[in-house]
Amino acid sequence: MNFAICAAATVAALVYVFYLPGKLFLGPKNTRASYLRERKEAVYENLRDLNFEYKAGKLPEADYQSLKSSLQDEAATILAEIARLESAAPAQSRRAKV
Amino acid sequence: MTNPKATIRRALHCILLLAAVFAFLGAGDPAARFGEIGHRMMCICSCKEILLECNHVGCPDSDGMRNELMAAVSRGDSDSLVEQSFVQKYGPTVLAAPTTTGFNRTAWIMPFAALILGFGLVVRVVRSWKNRPAPALADGLRPIRGAELAQFRDQARKETEL
Amino acid sequence: MAQIGSFALLLALALGVYSFLAGLVALIGQDQGYERLGETARRAGIVTFAAVLLAAVVLVAAAFHDDFSIAYIFHHSNRDLSAPYKFAVLWSGQEGSLLFWSLLLAAYGFVLRLRNKTDPRLFAYASVVLAGVQVFFLLLVNFAANPFGLLQGSIPADGSGLNPLLQYPEMVIHPPMLYLGYVGFTVPFAFALGALIMKYPGEKWIHITRRWTMVTWGFLTCGIFLGAHWAYSVLGWGGYWGWDPVENASLMPWLTGTAFLHSVMMQEKRGMLKVWNMWLVFATFWLAILGTFLTRSGIISSVHAFAQSSIGGWFAWFLGISFAVFLFFFLKNKSHLRGEHKLESLISRESSFLFNNLLFVLLCFTVLWGTWFPKISELVQGNQVTVGGPFYNRVAIPVALLLLLLTALGPLLAWRKTSFESLKRNFFWPAVGAVAVAIFLVITPQSWGSVFGLKPWKDISYFYSLMAVGLCTLVTFTVASEFYRGGRVIAKHTGQGMFASMVQLTHRNTRRYGGYIVHFGVVVVIIGFAGAAFNQDKEQEMGYGDKMTIGSYTLICRSYTDEENPNYSSQWAILDVYKGGKQIDTLTPERRFYHASQQTSTMPYIRSTLNEDLYLVYEGLNQDNGHPILKAHLNPLVMWIWMGVWIILAGTILALVPNAPAPVRVAAPKLVETAAPVGAGD
Repeated sequence: MNFAICAAATVAALVYVFYLPGKLFLGPKNTRASYLRERKEAVYENLRDLNFEYKAGKLPEADYQSLKSSLQDEAATILAEIARLESAAPAQSRRAKV
Repeated sequence: MTNPKATIRRALHCILLLAAVFAFLGAGDPAARFGEIGHRMMCICSCKEILLECNHVGCPDSDGMRNELMAAVSRGDSDSLVEQSFVQKYGPTVLAAPTTTGFNRTAWIMPFAALILGFGLVVRVVRSWKNRPAPALADGLRPIRGAELAQFRDQARKETEL
Repeated sequence: MAQIGSFALLLALALGVYSFLAGLVALIGQDQGYERLGETARRAGIVTFAAVLLAAVVLVAAAFHDDFSIAYIFHHSNRDLSAPYKFAVLWSGQEGSLLFWSLLLAAYGFVLRLRNKTDPRLFAYASVVLAGVQVFFLLLVNFAANPFGLLQGSIPADGSGLNPLLQYPEMVIHPPMLYLGYVGFTVPFAFALGALIMKYPGEKWIHITRRWTMVTWGFLTCGIFLGAHWAYSVLGWGGYWGWDPVENASLMPWLTGTAFLHSVMMQEKRGMLKVWNMWLVFATFWLAILGTFLTRSGIISSVHAFAQSSIGGWFAWFLGISFAVFLFFFLKNKSHLRGEHKLESLISRESSFLFNNLLFVLLCFTVLWGTWFPKISELVQGNQVTVGGPFYNRVAIPVALLLLLLTALGPLLAWRKTSFESLKRNFFWPAVGAVAVAIFLVITPQSWGSVFGLKPWKDISYFYSLMAVGLCTLVTFTVASEFYRGGRVIAKHTGQGMFASMVQLTHRNTRRYGGYIVHFGVVVVIIGFAGAAFNQDKEQEMGYGDKMTIGSYTLICRSYTDEENPNYSSQWAILDVYKGGKQIDTLTPERRFYHASQQTSTMPYIRSTLNEDLYLVYEGLNQDNGHPILKAHLNPLVMWIWMGVWIILAGTILALVPNAPAPVRVAAPKLVETAAPVGAGD
């Protein structure tokens, strides 16, 4: 009885581990563009936060302007780099662009 | 706006003053002293409790120790004398915290040394971040200028407006 | 039955080793199409969980079947033990605990490996790291502390029973919670090390592990406070925290973990503190293992060391090896962890996070230092010393108060730089409020309750209490103002009512506002701690009709009684409680004698109110005259601690809820991928 249970468990484990029908899902590769998009999202979040805090009255005007300006610069640099990567991409993939 | 340095200095003065006030406070009556000293000692019966918190009935040690402490306090022995006599009788582990003499002093100094060290370190780190030459751009990004900058800044602004 | 258990553990070990080695090979050769090998490694990791689960089920089943041929069951169970405690047998002893560790780790690994679609490559790395840790624990349960070892000689009729101190409802959930917390920190560590090894570009791994870390932190918090509550309700000395080495061991990873939860925001938002975070997450994992080591090895004596044994050596090796591996990859790839931004000002959210981290790590260091100092003292001056409550109270409380101040200040500071004007604008009214509350507490009459009429010049502990309550008020006001200001913006935008707006506000950024609620919970807990400055206690022989007065309560002993249970016999004292001349309650503190283990334990009776706990212990009979002795404690505000923990948990759960999208959101443009994948610094 014990032996049967152990044997069955082993066989089931081996079958599950080594029987791999079909194609494997490997996921998208991390590319520079996807990395930059993450970065852009982070900067955008910071900008939205900043706007919100300003509207909530937590920041004096001068602080807000200078912080916003430096964040927008950062965002712009990333957007520009993304745009460069896009234009360098093969033309037939252009349809994906917004 | 007030000068921040002056504010900090004033705050420091206040803290020092407060510390001095507390340093000169002392407990007076025997019951309070009993409670106070008794909470600075351990029961030695291996229960690992503070002497006055050891609660098992039939503890071979705590009752005797308490009586001894009571006697010493009502005799009017000073705190350090009571502690010394307990240490001589029961060994150094009877004190619930390390003493402030000899090597035991390091037990007290280390955390505060670490605090000062850490504080200095953080201030240094912040300074060095402040003095970083240019806002290092994310890996390999090139700064942009002119119309291009204006255009993308505008895009960022539009996309993040609330 | 024992054979199936032992076999399941061996199978789990084999699968774990395969998962580790095959995963490693697949990662090393990932450019040569070893994907299928990697997939088998992932699957082996998944089945490891099934195998460990089988072993755990077998052990629990053996406890329920009273199979005393298994030594572990004999030592930790008995026939009359009630069902929940038979379940708890799984983690009541060393071998079982280690099996339970493996099980929880395998469970985390199971979930992680099933969710690998988010980023298969990163998950493959994390999976291998996790498998490495898993193999260590499986080696332990197979070869050093096998829970399925058989009892030598004839099988006894009954077991020797579970430690009576552990026979309390909390003990059924405290260890699993604590272990879920300990074990869970392996996951962020696995991702961090994985990201470091593969030079993962960007901070997405932090996004992925954020929820894991919060869940783990929640479990650990829960586990620590359940332990405190257990100590309070069972150990009978009237307190909830004794600075015992094992309590300290659970506190240390909690402190570094809390630091990590804060500093991680620096990395996410600003790309800073990468090196620091890497070390912090490693330290947390390492301290969690060290905690287990301390509990289990008996190297530092503790009331918790229910089982002490030789597995210390295994842990020492594992701690050493994991440190070496981490250090190697850190030195190899540290250039990848360069910070990206500069800081504009010393007064900014960034630097408040730095100081926050400094204080958390310092507290952790203090606890570590205090825990090891007796050992160090023995080495240096030849004799042990005690490092107990008085030491920690004196060193840790000032630091904790500073931390509380930062909790109030931090959220008010803007990222990058904050001008004095802005600080004044946000801080002025909360500060005025806090000072007003503090003054109010000082001038009110003492008769109002325990924290009123607080004269800070009378005792340093009163001073600390007043500071704590004042700072707690400050934090509460700043948290409230955050909700109010945010709510006002949304109300203006949407025309909703204030409350609906605050709900929406929270839903839009659950982590931030959930975090604020956690801060508020901490405030409530600390108010509870501050009550300890006013604790009173009294011990007295109490015959029939005898009277004891403590605080505003009068206790009159009505009678004594006893009762037989299959598992234990108990003695009760029955006391009537009067307050202001009126009877308000009847209390029944209890003492139990457990048959199987031949041990006695006390069951204090706790009458809990918002203002104070009346805590009664039936200590037993005076050996000289046979009179019963009762000890009464009056512990103000203890209930606040447990309430605060519920708030902390609610905040944590809230922070785990996904954000609602902001009303204005531009669809993320779908970009074409360029062919070349990025490496580090690409």
